[in-house]
Amino acid sequence: MESGYTERNVKALSLPNRTARNIRKTVSVLFLSILAWVIAPNSPAQENSVRFIDANGETIAETPAQRQGEQLYLSVDAVRQVFDPAMTDQYNHPRKRLILKTKDQQIRLQIGHPIVGIDPSGLTHTLPSPPIIIAQQPMLPIAFFTRILPDFYNLEALYNPSLQRVQLRPKGTWTFFARAGDSVNWAIIIDPGHGGADDRGCESSTGLLEKDIVLALAKRLQRISEEQGIKVYLTRQTDTKKTHFERIQVAKRNQGQLFLSLHCNASFSPHEKGIKIYLNNPKGQLRFPSNVQSAPTGQRLKILAQANFLKQSQDFAHALQTELNFLTETPVEMTELPLIALSEAYMPAVVLELGYLSNVEDLEKLSDSKYIANVAQAIVRAFQRHISSINPPVQSTALEQEQ
Amino acid sequence: MSDNQETVKHNSSAGFSRLIVIWGTTLILIAFGLGVTLYLIERSKQSAVPTAPPPLPIAANPSDIPPPPQEVNLFLLDTTALTLVPVKTERRLHAELTKRLSQIITALIQETPPNFRNTIPRGTVLNEAYIDSQQTAYLDFSNHLTDGHIGGTTAELLTITAILKTVFDAFPEEIKQVQILIDGEEVRTLAGHLNLLQPLHLFQ
Repeated sequence: MESGYTERNVKALSLPNRTARNIRKTVSVLFLSILAWVIAPNSPAQENSVRFIDANGETIAETPAQRQGEQLYLSVDAVRQVFDPAMTDQYNHPRKRLILKTKDQQIRLQIGHPIVGIDPSGLTHTLPSPPIIIAQQPMLPIAFFTRILPDFYNLEALYNPSLQRVQLRPKGTWTFFARAGDSVNWAIIIDPGHGGADDRGCESSTGLLEKDIVLALAKRLQRISEEQGIKVYLTRQTDTKKTHFERIQVAKRNQGQLFLSLHCNASFSPHEKGIKIYLNNPKGQLRFPSNVQSAPTGQRLKILAQANFLKQSQDFAHALQTELNFLTETPVEMTELPLIALSEAYMPAVVLELGYLSNVEDLEKLSDSKYIANVAQAIVRAFQRHISSINPPVQSTALEQEQ
Repeated sequence: MSDNQETVKHNSSAGFSRLIVIWGTTLILIAFGLGVTLYLIERSKQSAVPTAPPPLPIAANPSDIPPPPQEVNLFLLDTTALTLVPVKTERRLHAELTKRLSQIITALIQETPPNFRNTIPRGTVLNEAYIDSQQTAYLDFSNHLTDGHIGGTTAELLTITAILKTVFDAFPEEIKQVQILIDGEEVRTLAGHLNLLQPLHLFQ
C-alpha cells in the first residue's frame, strides 16, 4: 500500500520533469532553426549548375552557378557560353557598374540594384533580385538569363527551377496559332483513361485514383489548348464509364487528327517511376502473330491502316518526349505495344502514362497542382510542335510580316 | 513439555511420508501392470490377423509409371520487383501436352518462393488449358486475374509477359502463341491497356 503511494508520487513528480525536458528540447530546436535562418543568407554560396537546352532538348551549355539563399546566380561568362560568344563585358569596380556589350547594343547593370537598362533603345527591366558580388566576381541572377537575355536575343525561355534547366527557343515558334488562327482546322482528341465506378484504373496508397487525375488534366489541357487556338474534344467529360468503341466514336465524329490517351501507371516495384509514352504497334514488344498476308481481310485492312499512322504517332511521341523531358529528371521512355485504347484509332495516337501511383515521388508530383499545370503546358507545347511540323508556321508568319 | 510436543510432531510427519511412499509405489506398480497387460493384448491381436501377401509386380504399362521429376522455369519478379527471372522448380509432369501446360501454369500461379514476387493476382485459378492444331495455347483464367490486378501498363505488361515466358520456355516447339481467356470468354484487355483480343507471342 505504502509502496504504491510512493510509486504514484514518483510518477506525479516525473511528469512535470518530462514536460520541462520537452520544452527545453523544443526551445533549443527552435533556437537552432532561427539561427540557421539568420545565418543562411550570409553563408558561403553553394556550388551548383544550370543546364541550358535548345528547342530539341539538346544541351547548349551547362554553366556553373552559385546558390545564395533562395537565389541562383551565374557568372558573366555564362552569357557568352549560352547566348553570345562575341559579347564583351566591362566592370567598373568603384562604381559597381557592369556593362555587357554586343555589336550594336549594350546592357547596363549595377551591383545591388535590380534595374537593367538597355541602350540605345533606353528600355529598362526590373529583376526580382539584383546582381551581387560573390568571390569578388559580379554574378547575375537566374532571372536575367530567363527573362532579360532571351528577350534581348529574340528568344523565349522556359525555366524549370527544380531541375535547374532552361530551355531556349526562337520567340513565337509555336504560339502563332492564337495570332494567325491557323489551328481552327485541327481537332485533337484527348482521352482520359478509365472512368466510372467499375473502372477506376490504378489507385495510390493514399486513395488517389487514376480516373480522377487524368480527367482533371484532360480538362486543363482542353482549356489551355483552346486558348492557343487548338480545338480539343474529350472522350469523357465526367466520371463515367466509356467503352473503347465509344471513345473512338468521339474521335471519328469530330474528325480527330491526333488522339492522346491519358493514364497513370502502376508497378509491382515501389521504386519504378517516371513518365512513359506508349505507341500502338501490333508488332510491338508483345506481338500479335498474325502477319498481314495470312490475316482475315478485315484484320489485314486494320493492320495496314494503322501502319500508315505509326510514323506520325512516333513523330508526335517524340515531340511529347522532348517537352516532357524538360520537366523530369528521369528520361521519358517510349515503347511500342499492342494497346487496346488505340487499337481502333485510325489517326496518329499515343498513350501517355503520367507517372506511377505506386511510387512515392511520382504520387507527390501527381498530387501537386503546380506540377500538373506544368505537364499540361508541356503537352500543349508538344501539340504545337507537332502541328508546326505538319503545317510549318513559316508561311503564315511571313505573310503576316508582309502585311 | 515442548520436547514431547516436538517428538509427537516428528513421529506424525515421518508416518505421513512413509504412507506417501507406499501409496506411490503401489500406483506405479498398478500402472506398469496395466501397461504390460494392454501391450500383450495388442500383440496377440496383431498375430491373430493374417498378413497380406506382398504386392505382385505391376505389368509394364508406360502411362501408369510415374514420370521422373523435371525442371521447369517459372517467371517471377526478382527482389527488385522490376525484372522477371526464371525460377527453377521440379515437377512430375504429365505426359499429355495439355495437362502438362495446365500443371506448369498452375505452378506459376501458386508457387512463389521467398524473395520472389508473383505478377499474377492472388486467388487466380486456371480454369482450363487447351492447345489447338495451330499451336495456339488457350489459357482460361478465373476473373481474379482481371479484377484483382493492380492496374497500370507496366504491371499489366509484366503479368502477361510472365505467363508468355513461362509457356514459351516450357514449350518452345509445341506452342507458338497464347490466347488469354477469362472465365471462358475472350477479353479485350486485362487492366485496360494491352490488347488481348488476339493471340500473343513474345518479341524476339
